[in-house]
Amino acid sequence: MNDTRRIIRQGVTDALPVFLPAVPFALVLGIAILESGILPALGWSSSALIYGGASQLTLLTLLGDGAAPGAAVTAALIVNARHLMYSAAMAPTFQQQPAWFRWAGSYFLIDQVFALTMLRINDEPQRFRAYYLGVGLTFWLLWLLFTAVALVAGPLLPQHWGLGFAVPVMFLGLLVIGIDRWPKAVAAAVAALVTWLAASLPHRSGLLLGALAGVLTGLLLERRR
Amino acid sequence: MTALLAILATGLGTYFSRAVFIIALARRRIPPYLRTAMEYIGPSVMAALVVTMLISPEGNLMPGLPEVAALAVTALVAWRSRNNLLTIVLAMATFWIVGALAA
Repeated sequence: MNDTRRIIRQGVTDALPVFLPAVPFALVLGIAILESGILPALGWSSSALIYGGASQLTLLTLLGDGAAPGAAVTAALIVNARHLMYSAAMAPTFQQQPAWFRWAGSYFLIDQVFALTMLRINDEPQRFRAYYLGVGLTFWLLWLLFTAVALVAGPLLPQHWGLGFAVPVMFLGLLVIGIDRWPKAVAAAVAALVTWLAASLPHRSGLLLGALAGVLTGLLLERRR
Repeated sequence: MTALLAILATGLGTYFSRAVFIIALARRRIPPYLRTAMEYIGPSVMAALVVTMLISPEGNLMPGLPEVAALAVTALVAWRSRNNLLTIVLAMATFWIVGALAA
């Protein structure tokens, strides 16, 4: 039990620095909500109901611009389609987990939670669960808190400190930390290149194409070995 | 009202995208090649995500010298130290210092 506590605390500690880059993002979302003309409390409720910054921003900005709701929802869901891949990647690990945790844990599976807990998928199930909950709940609470604060503080802060750049830095760092053999580095490089080449596709769906190319590269390299 | 419905629909769709394989594959044997493919999802999506953040929708690379220097520091420090906090701190320091020098 004591061990579980320690691991939960470890999850919380690991989540805090990784959350920092999300703060400017929360501010951007807060400003977008205020500019969309949607009731601020309703806009904020998307932090709990959707719980995904990029898709919240897409949906609320498009709705605010007067887009058809169906189109706005579709765009937001395409932005979020990468979660399908997180779900697939986590499926083997969640096989060893109880049903309640598969249903509840899925809700928390955002980019950062995926990136952090991916490094722990070989832990024993109980430890993985404790770590995942520590990371997941921390992110969730902080996101709700900071998107609320952003509604008040967002308009008061200077637009550009370049803090937003911490987001790609954080993901690149977690990506590199997770690379344990060279085919993964090659797959990541191919994914990056294809994403860049496919950048002009609508709704930034080049991301999905790039990710797919990376996975196929990995499969080919593994088959050769 | 429309906004609430749109938020709910996006929320449901998002939950579905996160849960579908975790729940559908809960009791199935996952074939080895699929397991291998799944191992490559993490690095591939994250690499794609990083690039998406660095390019404009028209495909122009946005980073200048400070960004490139900071990303190089990120890769190096993450690889050597395996410490995410240290990586973010050193990379952002690089970003700001090179940015101040270049300005």
